Amino acid sequence: MQWVNWSDALLQFLWVSSNVLLLGLGVVLWRRGLYREFPCFFAYVLFEVAENILLYVLFKTRVSGNHYAYVFAATLLLSIALRFGVIDEVSKNLFRESQFLKVAARRSLQAISGLLLGVGVLLAVLAPGNTSARWFAGVTVVNRGAAMVQTGLLLSFLLFSRFLGMSWRRHAFGITLGLGIMTSVDLATYGLGAEFVSWGWTRFLNLTITGAFFVCTSIWIRYLMVPEPKPLSVTVVPDEEVETWNKEFQHLLRQ
Amino acid sequence: MIAAWVLVAVGLSALAILLYAALRSRTRPGDLERAVQAFRALDIQAFRNLVDFSEEAFLRDHLPPRKFRAIKRQRAWAAFLYAWEAGRAAAQLAMVGQAAQRSSDPTIAASGAQAAENAFRLRVQTLRAGVILLAGVLLPGLQSRPIPALVDQYERSAETLFLIGRGSSGSRGLEVA
Repeated sequence: MQWVNWSDALLQFLWVSSNVLLLGLGVVLWRRGLYREFPCFFAYVLFEVAENILLYVLFKTRVSGNHYAYVFAATLLLSIALRFGVIDEVSKNLFRESQFLKVAARRSLQAISGLLLGVGVLLAVLAPGNTSARWFAGVTVVNRGAAMVQTGLLLSFLLFSRFLGMSWRRHAFGITLGLGIMTSVDLATYGLGAEFVSWGWTRFLNLTITGAFFVCTSIWIRYLMVPEPKPLSVTVVPDEEVETWNKEFQHLLRQ
Repeated sequence: MIAAWVLVAVGLSALAILLYAALRSRTRPGDLERAVQAFRALDIQAFRNLVDFSEEAFLRDHLPPRKFRAIKRQRAWAAFLYAWEAGRAAAQLAMVGQAAQRSSDPTIAASGAQAAENAFRLRVQTLRAGVILLAGVLLPGLQSRPIPALVDQYERSAETLFLIGRGSSGSRGLEVA
């Protein structure tokens, strides 16, 4: 009983404080003008604030389980769509400085998306659900598949950029990191939720997802509060040395 | 049941990679000196010889098939290592190019953009070349496929690195990252 009270209190604390942080994040995005660079992310943040307030009010007014589930499912599907928009925004930001990568990366990402979608659908359908309501099971399947595709895409960005030697802008990296943590925790908890269906486990997994959301919001605040660093001079090379390199390269090209 | 555990494994592995990436991303400044050293370390003439079709044809004509396959395997492996190193050098150059791209000096910024673009192309070509060369290691009896214009791209990348140097060879020397 004590565990239930304690976990309830923690869940509500994380839920409310995540929302307060999100609201703060919205203000930061607005005041720093970052909503122009990341309009979809800005829309996502505002939507999440509105969604959480609506769900919290419904939760507190003790509406029927069915009504709550309808609202939850509808807002979840919109949230998934907005997350895809944010991922597209991050990819445009990452590849914006190279004409070659804009084309090459888009093609590769299309192929990866197709592959991930196939794997996501397969895993989502094969993994059993923990709910008896058919329509809600369908929403869960869509959510699992989307989490799989989104996690894969965000990881691909990180691996691509590392392989190609691309440098991230701090803000885009923060958004990717936060969203990546959220979708990967979602994926793992949906897997666990399919296996462990007891009430205690469901509470624990709810707590984990809400905690992950709190962590992600903190990461976004941390990365978006700090301004983009100006290029610093880390390599200062004397003229004579530049000349030596130039000679070396002329020699190399004549070989 | 297995699918559910696969989801858990994928989710946790992704989480671990993301946390690793977050920790690693703290300090990765572009270092021109490292890029130049990486390019200097490669003997492009030796690489050219290793992937030269006429050399391969000569060896094929003058060696017994078994001996030829063994030698071709070694040559393909050596060429693969060259391509691998060229790829790493390209990644270094890409970082330098992107840092130079943000320079306040328009000449350096333009050279940086060109260097980064060439480095990205070279990196992708080293990947394609690596796949072809690995196929040569595994199946030495097959006729070699042409390596994508790796050497040309390598030289173009080296030229742009040279341009960054020239662009900055005023009184200040070169400042990037």
